[in-house]
Amino acid sequence: MSRKSMLKQGAIAMAVAAVPGLALANADLGKLMKDPKNWAAPAGDFSNQRYSELKQINKNNVKDLKVAWTFSTGVLRGHEGGPLVIGDTLYIHSAFPNKVFAIDLETQKIKWKYEPKQDPSVIPVMCCDTVNRGLAYGEGKIFLQQADTTLVALDAKTGKKIWDVKNGDPKVGATNTNAPHVFDKYVVTGISGGEFGVRGYIAAYNIADGKLAWKGYSMGPDSDMIMDPEKSMTWTDGKMAPVGKDSSLKTWQGDQWKIGGGTTWGWYSYDPELRQMFYGNANPSTWNPVQRPGDNKWSMSLWSRDIDTGKVKWVYQMTPHDEWDYDGINEVPLWEGKDKTGKQRKMLSHFDRNGFAYTLDRVTGELLVAEKYDPAVNWATHVDMKTGRPQVVAKYSTHQNGSDVNSKGICPAALGTKDQQPVTFNPKTGLFYVPTNHVCMDYEPFKVEYTAGQPYVGATLSMYPAPNSHGGMGNFIAWDPAKGKIVWSKPEKFSVWSGALATAGDIVFYGTLEGYLKAVDLNGKELYKFKTPSGIIGNVNTWEFKGKQYVGVLSGIGGWAGIGMAAGLEKDTDGLGAVGGYKELRNYTELGGVLTVFSLP
Amino acid sequence: MKKMLAVAAIAFLGTAPLVAVADAPYTVNAEGKVDKATRQGFETWRSAACERCHGPNQEGMVGPSLIESLKVLTKDQFKTTVLTGRPEKGMPNHPQLEPKMDALYAYLKCRSDGACKTAKVTAAE
Repeated sequence: MSRKSMLKQGAIAMAVAAVPGLALANADLGKLMKDPKNWAAPAGDFSNQRYSELKQINKNNVKDLKVAWTFSTGVLRGHEGGPLVIGDTLYIHSAFPNKVFAIDLETQKIKWKYEPKQDPSVIPVMCCDTVNRGLAYGEGKIFLQQADTTLVALDAKTGKKIWDVKNGDPKVGATNTNAPHVFDKYVVTGISGGEFGVRGYIAAYNIADGKLAWKGYSMGPDSDMIMDPEKSMTWTDGKMAPVGKDSSLKTWQGDQWKIGGGTTWGWYSYDPELRQMFYGNANPSTWNPVQRPGDNKWSMSLWSRDIDTGKVKWVYQMTPHDEWDYDGINEVPLWEGKDKTGKQRKMLSHFDRNGFAYTLDRVTGELLVAEKYDPAVNWATHVDMKTGRPQVVAKYSTHQNGSDVNSKGICPAALGTKDQQPVTFNPKTGLFYVPTNHVCMDYEPFKVEYTAGQPYVGATLSMYPAPNSHGGMGNFIAWDPAKGKIVWSKPEKFSVWSGALATAGDIVFYGTLEGYLKAVDLNGKELYKFKTPSGIIGNVNTWEFKGKQYVGVLSGIGGWAGIGMAAGLEKDTDGLGAVGGYKELRNYTELGGVLTVFSLP
Repeated sequence: MKKMLAVAAIAFLGTAPLVAVADAPYTVNAEGKVDKATRQGFETWRSAACERCHGPNQEGMVGPSLIESLKVLTKDQFKTTVLTGRPEKGMPNHPQLEPKMDALYAYLKCRSDGACKTAKVTAAE
């Protein structure tokens, strides 16, 4: 979203606020987001650009950045997400048990702390890491989405619980890792558990009382998905057309959709003018494609839903019939500009796990760009722009190769060319800055039976750095979303698993698994790095307090990158010891959740 | 360690088609193929997705190395751990695996002893 439209949005929000009892959240939150001193939402604003107008820290002085203060969460496991800042208070969360701290920015004193009591039996269902991607704010409340699926509203001033609601059932493997999102008068959340056969959904709860407003499933009967066969649209034969009746049911064998996955554990974006929210959803269950013939709609899709009713405006399936766990939950940042034909549009982009970066018209859902954002991607030659379908290379088709056959050398690996680590967009350059993985895999599907609450995976994977490349497992890249081209690429030793931040100071920040916070200029030249106490899988956020700009990031190694790299054996015969990427990571960092805050001296 | 050497020696000699090592709950033949139960143990291992915590080669990730654990745990301790879990440490219970415990133990013991050279094992005909 451009600054201009942000202002416009603010104006609209204020106008709405004048009407009593209507959409107060939008006015409140829209106003807070408009002020770059705050970081009032998981991605800073509704658009998910992760861009800040602050420029006290800039390309000339970032080399002088110093640590201003630090804060330990007291929790060891992987820490994703980042802090919220509203006025004089910073709110930070931890991995399980999902503590919340409100910190006074003046004194760095803890104003209040909230620690939920959760049944530890939820931990193994979250296997293998217990991350939480942060908090949301709206109408004086802080929202916490606990691992055990309890969604909690806390009084932002006191930390006192105002309401809570159960969003899913951990006994069948449903858990939550995502940050809740406040859009208009709703707090919107999703669900995890695709590896336990959980059927995904997006649920909107009223901010005021926690009552469920609507819930739209990823698959099943049209009514479950809030899909209108005549009015919900999808890219068909080079144009948008209605999805038609039973668009999901037709693509599953029997009742398989009931345990079909398509979970929703990512970041969501929102266009207040369109009153539409946007998100991607996950892989179908199981990971053995042989067991679930069909396109498995609408797993692996990008969605646009009406915020008041949940009704699907449009949907686009990126990876029909997944054979690689190319989970589609990655965020969908909104931006405006010219498409490649020079036409001004409201667009969105999405950097999928499958290695393709997509640009769509977010109003209509039209597919504009689908190009590889890592040259290593080999499982498909290209996306056919007429059908919107990836053209799968037979030797990398784990379905065609069949159960109990090890398909080798597939790029990217299941953790994707990018996973949940969010990108940033700089409206001044019109480019995205993207933290990526550069990892390939061998994938062997096997037959698996469903037992409620037990893992329903059905594939053995082995992951390793992309062969015949720079030997590292990541790149930090700049991407032109209109043309679909890599502008520059900076190699990294490990996957870049940290959310990036672009600012008006002409710099881009990101963290690394070794634990470095890095700042680069708009050409990718490294200007600054500092080693934080642990590997970084959190997101870099920025705010201003009493005239000073701050940059903060959570470190705390873990997540799939931190533990998944243990799967870095290139060959089974490499033996019994931990070799490969993860062993290397151990030479750099250890566990521990710490927030590090930087400023100029 | 002694047992491991014995198995290795037998494997290298490559004479007997299917050799039972004294006390071992598994057998590995000269081609490195295993008895049916040990193969079933492998199938149980991968179906239950144990590798998500213990690593694809049992070397340990978030969960401990089973190569090491199986050198320490008795069979009974192993069964109790798998069936009732250690929820506070993140190990779930697996009551549904009760009928498969002997085979799973045989497979993991085979890996821990070094007699099964690779995580994936195939059964001798």
